This record gives sequence, structure tokens and C-alpha cells, in this order.
Amino acid sequence: MILINIDSLSTNELQHIAQMEGLADWNALDREQLISALEDWFEEMDEGALPETNGQVSYARYTNSLTNHRGKAVHFNDLPRTNELPPSYYDSTIHLLLRDPQWAYAYWSLPETIQGNKTSFDDEDHSNESYFLRLYQNNLATGEETSSDIAVEVKDQEWNIHLTAMGSSYAVELCRLYSDGSEEVIARSASVETYLPYWADRIEELAMDNDLFLLHFSSLVTKTGEVAENLVLKDLVSTVSKGVLG
Amino acid sequence: MSNGHVAFVLNAHLPFVRHPEYPRFLEEDWLFESLSESYLPLLRMLNRLKEEELEFTLTISFSPPLIAMLTDNALQNRFVHYLQQHIELGQKEVQRCKDEQPEFLEMARHYLDGYILNLHEYEDLYRMNILDGFKALEQSGHLELITTAATHAYLPLYKEYPQAINAQIELGVQSFLTTFGHPPKGFWLPECGYYPGLEEQLRYHGISWFQVASQSMLLSPDNVTYGGYRPVSCPNGVAAFPRDYQATSLVWSNATGYPTDNVYREFYRDIGYDLPMEYIKPYIHEPEVRVFTGYKYWAITGKTDQKIPYVRAKAQERVKEHALNFHYMVNNKNHRLRGTMDKQPLFFLGFDAELFGHWWYEGIDWLEEVIRTSVGRTNLVSPSAFLAEDEGPLQTVRPAFSSWGQGGYSAVWLDGSNTEYYRHIHKAIHRMEELALRFPDQTSLKGRFLNQAAREVLLAMASDWPFIIYSRSSVEYAKKRLEGHIKNINLVYDDMCKNAVDTEWLIKAEKRHTIFGDLDYNIFNPERS
Repeated sequence: MILINIDSLSTNELQHIAQMEGLADWNALDREQLISALEDWFEEMDEGALPETNGQVSYARYTNSLTNHRGKAVHFNDLPRTNELPPSYYDSTIHLLLRDPQWAYAYWSLPETIQGNKTSFDDEDHSNESYFLRLYQNNLATGEETSSDIAVEVKDQEWNIHLTAMGSSYAVELCRLYSDGSEEVIARSASVETYLPYWADRIEELAMDNDLFLLHFSSLVTKTGEVAENLVLKDLVSTVSKGVLG
Repeated sequence: MSNGHVAFVLNAHLPFVRHPEYPRFLEEDWLFESLSESYLPLLRMLNRLKEEELEFTLTISFSPPLIAMLTDNALQNRFVHYLQQHIELGQKEVQRCKDEQPEFLEMARHYLDGYILNLHEYEDLYRMNILDGFKALEQSGHLELITTAATHAYLPLYKEYPQAINAQIELGVQSFLTTFGHPPKGFWLPECGYYPGLEEQLRYHGISWFQVASQSMLLSPDNVTYGGYRPVSCPNGVAAFPRDYQATSLVWSNATGYPTDNVYREFYRDIGYDLPMEYIKPYIHEPEVRVFTGYKYWAITGKTDQKIPYVRAKAQERVKEHALNFHYMVNNKNHRLRGTMDKQPLFFLGFDAELFGHWWYEGIDWLEEVIRTSVGRTNLVSPSAFLAEDEGPLQTVRPAFSSWGQGGYSAVWLDGSNTEYYRHIHKAIHRMEELALRFPDQTSLKGRFLNQAAREVLLAMASDWPFIIYSRSSVEYAKKRLEGHIKNINLVYDDMCKNAVDTEWLIKAEKRHTIFGDLDYNIFNPERS
């Protein structure tokens, strides 16, 4: 195993690691010897050597007090060697997240040769290709599946997708369309489900029965008559009140 | 049918913020203000009622990040310093008010007395660990303590990653067990975020009940017999308690809730902003960053910037009225439901604990008054006790996907302002799972490196960061934290793929993020049994 930046550790820290690893005479070694001993130790571990712990493995973590005082700076700094977040992970995936029963958020990435505008290793010309999302809707009650396509640009990485019917399962595919009309599925998301509320098609029954209305609606309305903010609820309220509320 | 049954459930949570590398760090005040204005006064009030032998039960969820901060030695010492500074400021304020603003003298003294009492109790009574105080109240039967997700992640947005959901629940249970010595029965779903099927993992970890948003009953695919007024059983037997939006709104509504009453104290007028810089400078942040000091002398008054001085006696009178009004509203509702329900309804009220005392200054007084006046009016119960005493099986129901956020679903945590981060957090989870699978059961530096990566993934999942970005409060800090955690996991991933460990990074990361000391990264291994 390679030890990165071991030179940057204090002697105390090096001694602590050596002690934890069970190195003999750790407190008799000077700084250079400690570094050398630790590098050898971890190299040996790669070769299968296991530390002598006499049956006791210490998982205690190194928690000396911090010495990294930064004066009046308002924000903390990143830890060493960390890089800025990449714009994409270029790995041909697509994900679908349910925001609410009417909207989902999709994000995806394509290989760097395409999305990152890098030279293609395979020397293929991608300029005549276009991309689209294919949204699959599966009616949970009937099993009927329908699909619709949404054209996207190669530079796009995300899309808000309108979900047209509750009581359905949705999944989305990221697809490539070639100049000859053929299609290729690059990635498919996991599915998300929306469920039709029991009362959705019985709302008149709810509206006509005081007891039912009290049981099901009163916990959702404030003492001044404001209904809990919720788009499905709002649709139900609007139906119940024949458009007067909601 | 008896009096109304009410379950008060408080969610005590703050994001893990700890920066001892700075002499003072602005966002650490979130903890200190909550301790000083909410947690310690709440403990004091509950102990007072206990000593008076009043019968009551409240429920409190302590999040693992809050537990980690409350038991962190560096933060404990800083809180003592915070209190000492506020006592010094209070002494100056008493003198200043005597000389210049006698109308504020009573409140200056009141605040000063409160800080002195807090310091005494914190150091001498609780030995700097207030969790012991809550534990004692649980043992005496006045509290039910429950847990929540490891870093208070909004779980519906991680549905695709069952290993990460499991880690959030398992570590929440472990943290509770380590702290309070027994497994929790209840689990506070962060932000009331529920998706169908989540109960499977909760049951696996021995959870008996959790709470859901009000609308999850009306919008269920099933006909819920008692609407939002009874717990239901999920198909796997775990109970779900619908939060009563109406009863909660008596307090929670920022338009009509009790805390908006004009005689109550105004939160936003604070001497940290009002007094001259040369006077207040030692008590705010460097360099001359004005912050709340806790010394606030004005009443809400109305929708005007011309505030009138706060009069504590008037506010205390209003507290009594609001407590009685609460009982009236609950019992009125209980009475109206009498004709429609053949079983005892339960009004489940869930709040952030920091609402009481910190945001709503009189909130703890109100809670105390509600408890004091509950005898003969309202039964205060814990969800576990309600389930134990309830007769007959609960109705089996599939609650609907929901949250308590604006819009009732995931719009707050999946807003245009924060969506860009999910590709990174999800990737971080995916990479952590890959690392755990490729390098299982590592010890020594590699084990520590991987454990730290797991810590970074969990911290990135906290619901706080997307919420803060959405609400535009401390956006820069939230973005910096979120991006920092993701950068860290990316570094570990890249190094591990090269069979390397960055020791400097590891030492610094371990010192910075000290949460979950016993964490085993193998928790992310999808093949773990």
C-alpha cells in the first residue's frame, strides 16, 4: 500500500500510528526512522503479513486536538488533495427521482467522449447522433404500458418530467437515435411508483357525508380554514367544493 | 369516550457542525443557542413538573449528530465559554439598562439569571452532558425517547439505495442504544419523509412505530377507517402515526399560530444588531459580524418595525390563555369525533424541539402550562404507551408517499436550487458500496480510510444541506459542507483504486468529522448478511 503525504504528519502523529500498528520500539525511533518503518510495514502488509496484536485489535481513532488555526477566515478550507466536483461522472446512467405524484426529476450522464466533448478513442463520429428520453408509464391496476419520448440535447444532463396519471409506475430510458433511424438504449432508470388515493374517484361520497368529511379532512385544515398545502389534496378539495375552495 | 389523547413528539436535531480549528465558528452557535434557549430550559421545566409529581409523558427524538455534539468535549467546553460570555454581556446589560433603558431592565436581569442558571446546571448538575438528564426523565416514565436517521437524511430521495437507507436506520438505532442503553421503539422519520416500503427496513431494526405527515392517510390507496386520528398498521405490522396538521398548526402556523401573538417576544430584534459596534463587538463574531446575542427586549407588536417593549407578565398571561385554548380545541375536536369513531382518537403533534424556547421564546412556558392544566382535560401520552393500552388490532393500511415539507412531498429537498447535488451524493453512495464490496474487512490505515469515507457519505446525506440551500439561509456554508463531503469520498475512491492511503488527509478528516467513532464501513457492503 502506498502512503500518500506521510511526510506531512507530525512526529506525534507518526508515533501514534506506529503504536496503533504495533511496531516495536516505536518510541525509540526518530522521525525519519518512523516514516521508513511505516512505509516498510504497509508494504509488508500488502504481501500478506498481519500485525501482531496478541488478539487485541485497536480501532481507536486518532483524535489529537487540531492545530490548524486559520485566524479570522470565515469559511473552513477543503482537506488536502481534494478536487472540485466533476460536472459529470461520464458513466452512462440515468436516475429518476419522484418529486411529487405529478413531477419527477431525471438526471443522467453520458460517456466523456460524447458529453465531455473529448476526442473519441474509437474514432467514431457522434455528430449525427441525437438523444432522447423515453418515459414508460405502467398502469398499476391494468398493467397497460405506454411510452412517450422527450428530445434532449447532448449537453443536457437533467430534466423535469411531468407524470400524467397517478396509480402508475414510471421509468425512463436514455436513448440514442442514429442518422439511419435506428435507436439504442444507453441506460434505464429504476422505476418510481405513484398510487391512486382511495378517495380520488369517490370524492362525491366524501363530500356528501359529514362524518366521513370530518374524519378525513378536518385534520388537514387549520382553524382558519387553510388546507394543508398539497397539490393532490388541492385537487380533491377543489372537486369537493365544486371549485369554491382549493 | 374519555378526554382527548395527545401525543407531543419533539424532534431534537441539528446538523453536525464542529470546527475547533477556529477560535469561534458562526454555525456552532446553532448548537449553543439551542442548548441555552431550548434543551436546558426544557429539562428544567420537565424536572420541575416531575418534582411536583404531575403526571405527563412527552416523546423526544435525539438525532445522532446532536448526540455526537452534545457529548463532544471540545463543543462542551466551548458552550461553557459561550455561557460565560453571555453572563458577562448580561452584567453589562443590567448596568446599561439601569442607566439608559430602564424599561428593559427586568428582561436584562431575566436573561442574565437564565444564563447563570444554565451554566450552573450544565456544569454542576449534568456534568456537561444533558443527555443524562433526559435519560433520567425517561427512567422515571415522563419521557419516551426515540431515534431518527443517522444524519437525518430525507429518505425518499435515497429509495434507490437500500444499503444507504439501512445504514441510516441501523446507525440511528446503534447511536441510541449506545447513548440510552436500550433499543428505541419509535423512529422519527426526518422531515416526515415516507415512501411505501420504508417500513420493511424499520421493522428489520426492531422499530415498532414511526410518524407520517397528515395527508398520508387521506391520500392512501386504502380506505383509512379513522382518517388521521388513529395510528395504523403498515402491511408488515409497524405502526404509523399520522401527524395532526390542524392541531399542530395551532402552534406551528406562522400566520395564525400561538407564537405569532403580538405580546410575545420578537425573535428578530436583538441587541447584537441594535447596539453600537464598540459596545457589542466583544460578543459578536470577528470581524465585526453582527449575530444574535439572545438579549431581545421587544414584543412582536404587529407587522411593523415600530416595536413596543416586551412585557413578560403580559406574555405569561397570554401563555395561560393559549394553553387553555389548546385544551379547548383538542377537546372540542374530540367531542365532535365522538359520534363518528367507535375508538379513542389520538391527536399526534410533532414539532422541532428548537421551536420551543429558541424560536418561540414562551414555547416552553406554554408547554409547561399545557401539562399543568391537562389534568381532567387532556391525556398526554406517548405513542408506545398508546399502542400498549389500545384495544384491538390497528387497521392495516398503506400510507401514501409524503413529507411535512412545503407541498407535502419532496419539493423542498429536490428544488431547482439543490437538485444538482443528487448526482454527486448518489454517486458517493454507489462508490462507497463498491469500495465496501471490493475491500471488505480492512483493518489498520485502510480500514480507517474506508471508515472515514463512510462517515463522509453519511454526512453528505443530511437533509439539512438541501434544506438550507432551498431556504437561502446559510447557503454558502451548506454548499461548502456538502461539496466537501463529496470531494472527500471521491478522494478516498481514487486513492483506494490505486491501492493508496493519503495519511495527511485521513488524519485531518478524522479530526474534523468526529461523528460515529465506532462506524464500520462494511455497513455499505451490499453483500453483507
